[in-house]
Amino acid sequence: MLRMFRSEWLKIRRSVMWLLIAVSPLIALAFGLFGFKQEGSFPWIEALSLLSALHAMLFLPLLTGIYAALLCRYEHAGGGWKMMLALPVSRTQVYFVKFAVLMLLLAATQLLLLAALLAVGWANGISSPVPWRTIFASLGGGWIACLPLAALQLFASVAFQSFAAPLAVNVICTLPNMLVVNSARVGPYYPWAQPMLAMLPREDYGFGAFNLSLETLTIVVLGSFCVFFAAGWTYFAKRSV
Amino acid sequence: MANPTWILETRELTKRLGGKPVVNEVNLAIGRGEIYGFLGPNGAGKTTTIRMLLGLAKPTKGSVHIFGHDIRKERIQILRKVGSLVEYPSYYGHLSATENLEAVRRLLGVPKSRIGEVLSIVRLTKEADRAVKGYSLGMKQRLGIATALLGSPELLVLDEPTNGLDPAGIQEIRELIKSLPGSHGVTILISSHLLSEVEQMATRVGIIAKGSLIYQDGIQMLRERAKSRIRFGVSDPEAAWRLLLSHGYQADWDRRQLSVDRTDDRTVAAIVAQLVRQDHQVYRVEEETASLERIFLEMTGTEGSL
Ligand SMILES: Nc1ncnc2c1ncn2[C@@H]1O[C@H](COP(=O)(O)OP(=O)(O)OP(=O)(O)O)[C@@H](O)[C@H]1O
Ligand SMILES: [Mg+2]
Repeated sequence: MLRMFRSEWLKIRRSVMWLLIAVSPLIALAFGLFGFKQEGSFPWIEALSLLSALHAMLFLPLLTGIYAALLCRYEHAGGGWKMMLALPVSRTQVYFVKFAVLMLLLAATQLLLLAALLAVGWANGISSPVPWRTIFASLGGGWIACLPLAALQLFASVAFQSFAAPLAVNVICTLPNMLVVNSARVGPYYPWAQPMLAMLPREDYGFGAFNLSLETLTIVVLGSFCVFFAAGWTYFAKRSV
Repeated sequence: MANPTWILETRELTKRLGGKPVVNEVNLAIGRGEIYGFLGPNGAGKTTTIRMLLGLAKPTKGSVHIFGHDIRKERIQILRKVGSLVEYPSYYGHLSATENLEAVRRLLGVPKSRIGEVLSIVRLTKEADRAVKGYSLGMKQRLGIATALLGSPELLVLDEPTNGLDPAGIQEIRELIKSLPGSHGVTILISSHLLSEVEQMATRVGIIAKGSLIYQDGIQMLRERAKSRIRFGVSDPEAAWRLLLSHGYQADWDRRQLSVDRTDDRTVAAIVAQLVRQDHQVYRVEEETASLERIFLEMTGTEGSL
């Protein structure tokens, strides 16, 4: 397993992915530096809401699709699947490592957002102590809520030779997020909206699917993740290359 | 259990694609240290067969045994000792040749020094640090061969490895392939659509056409077939043919001549004697030497298709 991570690392080491990781946190940082006014009694939570709104609604789902497509692109383009699967490796391992790398990239994105948040707080001289618990629940929750979408996008990226097709689907499905979260019925089941539901501080958003308990959301997220991941994995294990 | 004398053996290997059998009940048998030429015209099913050998695609029917083990059950152990190049060379374009080989090396777990060795074998050392997407087709092909050699395999499976190489490159690869069984005890399966390409190095050949294996034997036997007929130029071929038939000789005739399968000198002499005795005029007796390529074309039924 470790040797496969090391091989994968070599392939992504000089990829555009590293630039993409910084995009959303940088935009959030700009939002925070120019748009944040210290008014309420919970300045950190307000800053978090401000920074994560666009990130969770738009960038996180989009990036999930882009990372997945990029991780598969060089395998499709140069016949990498064929080469790798004719080596003494198990297909299950290949698929698990791809997924793990995808989640690590998303984790790196979340960590950069944390850095942006701390920078905004520091720049505005927020004096109250940092509410680490809430912040980690938000960033970590957003990350975990990406699991089903990541599984779905990796499945699509493995299945389609084309780089653009899975991305187009991803964009089209991400755009209605703002509407979907209004619905308590559909919202939690919609993989593209799950990161937003999990990430935005609940105190500030008392409508639609945000009223759901965290337990319900967790169960839905983990349940659909298992289904999507198993589907992609069995597909990959059986396919001809 | 599979027959231990064969390094690679398939039984009734079949693959159906889109309803029709693309590979049909193929029984390959390759012995240790052989260079096996796997021949067939375009679309015959070579690549499809090779994919199944490597476990990249599942057979519809039949089995593959390599080193005596079933590929379905012990794929990973088998592939540890197999190097392969399938169809067109695989590579990561944004990486250099060295990094490409390193990505594979990390999966194989062989010493780092192998990278330099295989690069020099295929003569890519000088270009090794350039991104592969800027390589010519021939250079990519060399990199593909280097990748196949990286794990010091016991069985090397090369699907049209000289595709895109210039004559000097083809010659080099040929020399390399010829040297491997002797120096390293490697067994090689090499596919091609040209008999002439493997003729000089193969010890055995298998010929596949429209999915079926139509010939599998030593290259020498194929050469024997190549000079297979004796022709008699005679005055009246039809009457001469009847005469020979009445004496139990199988023959064919056309307007100008009579021909029989290649046979020993005594039989030829006896035939001539018969003909002369019956007042046939014998103008010439000659051996027809068809080229190997021609035999190949006749066997695969692609003659005149180009
Ligand atoms: N996915 C598929 N669906 C239907 N038919 C297919 C599929 N893949 C390959 N074929 C058919 O299988 C046949 C054999 O293809 P294959 O690639 O094995 O030939 P080949 O012997 O390697 O030819 P070449 O010398 O051109 O490389 C071809 O007629 C091809 O059209
Ligand atoms: Mg082919």
